[in-house]
Amino acid sequence: MNLDTQDDSRLTLERTIPTSPQDLFQLWVDPTQVARWWAPDGYQCLVDSLDARPGGRWRTILQHPSSKQIAISGVYRTIEPPRLLTFTWAWEDEHGRRGHETEVRVRFSPVPGGTRLLLIQQAFENKSVRDRHNFGWSAGFDRLTRIHATT
Amino acid sequence: MVRSRETSLDSVFAALADPTRRAILERLLTGGELTVGEVAAPFDVTTPAISRHLRVLEHAGLIERRTERQWRYLRASKGALSALEDWVSRQRRHWAAALDRLEAVAAATTPKRRKS
Repeated sequence: MNLDTQDDSRLTLERTIPTSPQDLFQLWVDPTQVARWWAPDGYQCLVDSLDARPGGRWRTILQHPSSKQIAISGVYRTIEPPRLLTFTWAWEDEHGRRGHETEVRVRFSPVPGGTRLLLIQQAFENKSVRDRHNFGWSAGFDRLTRIHATT
Repeated sequence: MVRSRETSLDSVFAALADPTRRAILERLLTGGELTVGEVAAPFDVTTPAISRHLRVLEHAGLIERRTERQWRYLRASKGALSALEDWVSRQRRHWAAALDRLEAVAAATTPKRRKS
């Protein structure tokens, strides 16, 4: 499994945060900590469930005083503290129906003075690919939309 | 955060979940208008299989067909990927802001260590 992304074909974000990988990892899997940063400004975050085990479900509800609540949910796939966290991700509509499911992969690497966080979000194409932990978006969001933007 | 056009987005995602269909769309995005034969040429799949892929792309609104005499032409729809682009940029903004907040929480949580 190659996690290095020399190709920039996916939705990728990278940060260096002056916190140890252990502490940073906890901010992703401890419900109390997640509630502190998960919701956009102006929203309250309610962690409906967070079962940080492979196969465990998570669901968060984002509540804005002046609008409908929005939920995001998924299932944890990989929990390897303090290095790797992967989970599925889907926005839910107002009836609780989940939209297209994508996968989020967060990698934590120790660097001098903190942790490099690499977040990759991509859609998997089918179950067999997903089960091999080999993700199918060879031409991913960013690549296609870049081609699209130039035409 | 707004979930507009989610239905069409689902069909776009479903259409693009297949590598052959992504490759077909890439070819049309870069190559402009092509005949069905030209589109199919690089792919080692049967004509019925290509036809099925084209139908899925068409139903998702990603490609358009035009017939001129005996020739059938294909091209990428104008704004073919705008639903996907909207989703990607929305998702990117979502994560960028979330990581800002994560960083602030991390700074508030981690005891400050002085380096000598």
